[in-house]
Amino acid sequence: MANRTSDKDRSRILFIAPAIIWLLTFTLFPLLYSLYLSLHGSRFLRVTHFVGLENYRMVLTDYRFWQAFRVTLIFVVSNVAATTILGLLLALLFNHPIKGIRLFRTLSTIPLFAAPVAIGYICMIIFYEEGGPINNLLITLGMNGINWISDPFWAKVAVCLADVWQWTPFAFLVLLAALQSVPDELYEAAALDTVSSWQTFIHITLPMIRHALVTVVLLRTVEAFKIFDIPFSLTNGGPGLATRTLTFNVYTTGLRDQNLGEATAIAFLLVIVMLSVTFVFFRIYRSQYE
Amino acid sequence: MYRPQMPLWKRVLMSIAMVISTVWLIFPFYWAVITSLKKPADVFKLSFIPFLQFQPTLENWRTELTLRTKEVVGGLSTSFIVAVSAAAIALVIGTLAGYGLARFRYRRWKNKDIAMWILSQRFLPPAATVIPFFLMMRKLGLIDSRLALILVNVTFTIPFTVMILRDAFGELPLELEESALVDGCTPFQTLIWIALPLVAPALVSAAIISFAFTWNEFLFAFILTYSKATPMTVVIAGTQDTQGVQFWYVSTRMLMAVIPPTVLAMAIQRYIVRGLTLGAVKG
Repeated sequence: MANRTSDKDRSRILFIAPAIIWLLTFTLFPLLYSLYLSLHGSRFLRVTHFVGLENYRMVLTDYRFWQAFRVTLIFVVSNVAATTILGLLLALLFNHPIKGIRLFRTLSTIPLFAAPVAIGYICMIIFYEEGGPINNLLITLGMNGINWISDPFWAKVAVCLADVWQWTPFAFLVLLAALQSVPDELYEAAALDTVSSWQTFIHITLPMIRHALVTVVLLRTVEAFKIFDIPFSLTNGGPGLATRTLTFNVYTTGLRDQNLGEATAIAFLLVIVMLSVTFVFFRIYRSQYE
Repeated sequence: MYRPQMPLWKRVLMSIAMVISTVWLIFPFYWAVITSLKKPADVFKLSFIPFLQFQPTLENWRTELTLRTKEVVGGLSTSFIVAVSAAAIALVIGTLAGYGLARFRYRRWKNKDIAMWILSQRFLPPAATVIPFFLMMRKLGLIDSRLALILVNVTFTIPFTVMILRDAFGELPLELEESALVDGCTPFQTLIWIALPLVAPALVSAAIISFAFTWNEFLFAFILTYSKATPMTVVIAGTQDTQGVQFWYVSTRMLMAVIPPTVLAMAIQRYIVRGLTLGAVKG
């Protein structure tokens, strides 16, 4: 009998084994390898000798790291806030049986499944300073064109706009789904009690969609920390370092400058930042799976 | 959905908001489409409406598809082969793990810890593994190969397939599978013959989401490939170097890169919310 159970156990493990082995090989092993690399010196993409925390010291005293850190945080905060607020407003606005809502929902999925790098290039055409549609329109209206690509501030705005354009539909679709699962009776009761719509929102709607809202904010935060494709294609990290994110820095340090140690040190610092964020995420998110 | 009577002015305002949002949503694609149909002389002019404001031409598409087939068709076919293979492998792994997590109770680690661990892959920044992955692939002689891209993209999409299928299997009634087990089927046979056909819609959704994520992946593709195995995302990144600001060609490539995954995704409306939130919000 005992033998049969352990046989059964063994066959059950076979179901999850491929997933676990795959992730051990292609996620955990590279991660540990990355840690090893960050503690070693390198030359021409070859590891040389153990240097302790020297790479980390170099990175943490490098203004380019702090610049990239600042740029990444700016993108994370502004993009997450903008996509969530815009998405919530749209979801509240369109949570009614109005004409065209089905089509609008279908169209909303398009940006989510378009390659970010392609969106970056399309936006490069749109934000083009000499003859792009936005600047042309501004000039036609008698205003000055904006230096979308060559001004450090506007380059950040351009990257943010592209990212917000791509991800607002995500917040919209998730929050709309959450709003539609709120039972009608709750609203009807509120309507009978002649509660104001603001109070209905605060006391009924918000608590009912809180879980979806938290999910949106945290998933967007995690993804926003990875931002690379759009700054790469739209502004190529520039002007100067104005739109160079941490991931961008890992790429330039590791593969352009071939400094594996410092690149992996930056990557590890990014992991630490994200781990602290996901720690919060896990504590909240986890309850949704129980 | 709450349906109180809406006054007319409210419905009008709502329609206006809908039109504005739709224009905002469509505009970049619309601009790419008309740019690809413009003659170079018209590209930097503010003209929106073909025939009325400018004479459209298919010349750019013809040039891209006949004279530059090596780059364009090469990129598209690599993207296609890599995305289909990665989706297929991730689907097999995800089906097995999803079924295991939905149906069995694992002792050494709790099911939800295993699920969380698989999910955590999505929370790791790709930058953290890109350099060791590059070195690993170099050691294996897989730089500039489709296989390297398949390996990395399966890794990125496993969390989606596992979570989507775990949910789908979890929602099936147990009776059918129990009677199959009583009839002497092994758990594996039960999965293949009984449970799998019933989750076909979830399988399709998981496949499309994996396909789209693989198709759109850029960072690893950019670092791991340079000529023989460049997928469409890398091809379009190189466009600027070879074509400069020839936006009329750039936009044809953008559209070719964007159309396949977005069209597929429109087919799985019902699963998008659930899929993209990894099961946290049921759409």
